[in-house]
Amino acid sequence: MTARTASAAAGAGRHRALPALLAVASLAMAAPLLWTLLLSLKPNGELLRSTRSAFSPPYTLQNYTDILGHSAVFAWLLNSTIVSLAVTLGVLALSSLAGYGFARLRFPGRGVIFIVVLFGLAIPEQSVIIARHQMFSALNLHNTYRGLIFPGLAAPFGVFLMTQYFRATPQELEEAAALDGASRFKIFWRILLPLSLPAQATLGIFTFLSTWNDYWWPLISATDSDMYTLTVGVASSQMNFAQTNGLGFLMAQAVFASVPILIVYVIFQRYIVAGVSRAAA
Amino acid sequence: MMRWPVGAAVLAAALVAVSGCRPASPGPVQITLQRFFGACDAEFGASTDVPAAEGECGIITTLINKFNADNPDIWVKVNIVYWPGYDQLSAELAAGHPPDVVTMHESVISDYSQRHLIMPLDAMLASAGIDPAGFTRAAREGVTRDGSVYALPFDNWAPLWHLNLNLLRAAGLVRDGAPVLPHSPEELLQQARQFTRATGKPYLIQSIVNDPAASARNLFTGLMQQNSDFFADPRRIRLQTPEARRVLQLFKQIRDEGLTTKDQDYTAATAAFLNGQGGVYIVGTWMIGTYEQASLQPGSPLAGGYTVVPFPQLYPGRDVTYADGHSWVVPNAKRSVQKTAAIARLLRFLRDNDFQWSRTGHLPAYQDVIDSARWRALPHRTEVARLVDTAASLPAGVQRQFTIQQIISEEMESAITGQKPIDSALADAERRVNDLLFNLL
Repeated sequence: MTARTASAAAGAGRHRALPALLAVASLAMAAPLLWTLLLSLKPNGELLRSTRSAFSPPYTLQNYTDILGHSAVFAWLLNSTIVSLAVTLGVLALSSLAGYGFARLRFPGRGVIFIVVLFGLAIPEQSVIIARHQMFSALNLHNTYRGLIFPGLAAPFGVFLMTQYFRATPQELEEAAALDGASRFKIFWRILLPLSLPAQATLGIFTFLSTWNDYWWPLISATDSDMYTLTVGVASSQMNFAQTNGLGFLMAQAVFASVPILIVYVIFQRYIVAGVSRAAA
Repeated sequence: MMRWPVGAAVLAAALVAVSGCRPASPGPVQITLQRFFGACDAEFGASTDVPAAEGECGIITTLINKFNADNPDIWVKVNIVYWPGYDQLSAELAAGHPPDVVTMHESVISDYSQRHLIMPLDAMLASAGIDPAGFTRAAREGVTRDGSVYALPFDNWAPLWHLNLNLLRAAGLVRDGAPVLPHSPEELLQQARQFTRATGKPYLIQSIVNDPAASARNLFTGLMQQNSDFFADPRRIRLQTPEARRVLQLFKQIRDEGLTTKDQDYTAATAAFLNGQGGVYIVGTWMIGTYEQASLQPGSPLAGGYTVVPFPQLYPGRDVTYADGHSWVVPNAKRSVQKTAAIARLLRFLRDNDFQWSRTGHLPAYQDVIDSARWRALPHRTEVARLVDTAASLPAGVQRQFTIQQIISEEMESAITGQKPIDSALADAERRVNDLLFNLL
């Protein structure tokens, strides 16, 4: 057997092994999700006895009916949607403007201010939560949409991302536009902003996902059940020892809360993958 | 055409503006009641048929529905929180907008009463015609701080011994239809060995993995039964004692001899008892209904063979079981006379319906309910009724009891599973608890 034949055989082997490896990895990643889905379709009483019953019928949609039967669940869904959309749009607007300013405009203290903004990346939310809670109390912002939206608008990562993106955009584009008599704002508006759409898509999707999944701040700011977001609302509807006496209901809640996220993911899948690749690069 | 930033800003501003829209308050006087116990609107959301409701969630939901239906001049708005809800309550108190009535464990009352965050209820209870003398002793001790009543007690609960009589009978541990129970650590070990030899199954089922309180409750009960004054000073615990060592040694030996299930969390242990995997499961009053139901199902390992008893007296000091309870507190806040009167009426309603609540399995907080024929007619209530006299909580001044239970359970688990020597675990538990209490504000 020649060296070339041996190399071709090894290549073919690798070719066959790779899909099998990927299939196993995919199954391992999907298994918890499938397990959650299966459990959500079983009566709680059966699961109390043994979770092995998840592999055999009968299945039921009762747990989902119970969730939808809760009078407040659609209000929580609406609250989450309003808050997530407002934060996402606000972050996009503020980060784009700030990013352009840091990348292209020259003004006194620019470097210092940029560093101060970057400090925000290093400060965990936990360290400021009490001060923020007191500030929002003084401003009477708890149990309002503004109370849920404003903290999310401070997005140093967004500013950093957009700054880097604008810095990487060729300066010549702006110079050419300036030669044609375009104003600074027109250059930003007509040229740089459309070019930054991929970065904005990435930032928007990640902001939406993190806001949708946020639990801690809504837990202590939106304490009135009318203002609960979906994450806080579904948690509140769990009984004591829900993991034991209401496992099916608990899993149905997990599935229900993740459906909107899955829809967002399916619609924006292309951008999310591109965004992750870009961030990795 | 409007592009990003501007378009986004406009839409974001519009969404923010929506924040001005809040639902109008229905009803003339609104009380906000904040509770855990979950939500069950799908089944009981519109029901006012309290006797037909089941479970903690079902009964409390229909109770409030009934109160709203019977009192058209008051509207109780229910805020359901994730158990136990104290993070939210603290946040609300810090923000100056606490709810009007809140569920609180009796073991937690000191955390709030000592900082004057909840109000003494003596006057309000008097105005509602509720006499604390009617509370059971356990309930009265649970809600009284420095001579004042800080909560309306709703129930008491304690770790009980849930028994699989079918397996105990097979092991020769049922005599004249009654279970044979141990009266000392030695008897416990002897009976457990006898059980395991006869059935091939562990005598005890225990939840000791990631359980924040089960082991601590066993320790507290064991210490109280030996008259150990381990909280002589409410801000300092003493655990490096022969009494504490004895309790840990007993549970370690039970594990070392294979007389208990191992490495089970609460869910696994609960299912194990249901599936007949052991003779005795130490867990609270709230499981009575579930296991009673199982005992009525033909084919179940518990069929016709389930009963429950208080924690047996294992030490010669006194017959006592550590207990806690659920109660209703009223946070300090400025309220109108009408609202205060409405709260008093709600508390009276809750007190009058304590029997309905006691159907959950929890022990009633009122002596007249305990003495009533209808309560004693509920399954297994006569077996656990003596808890009224034997249940005891930690001294009233002890704060941060939830955290203390968690610390002690962690250290006990380390000792019982052999990860730490018993003396080290007790020393560590004592140091950690005392650090916690020393740093209280």
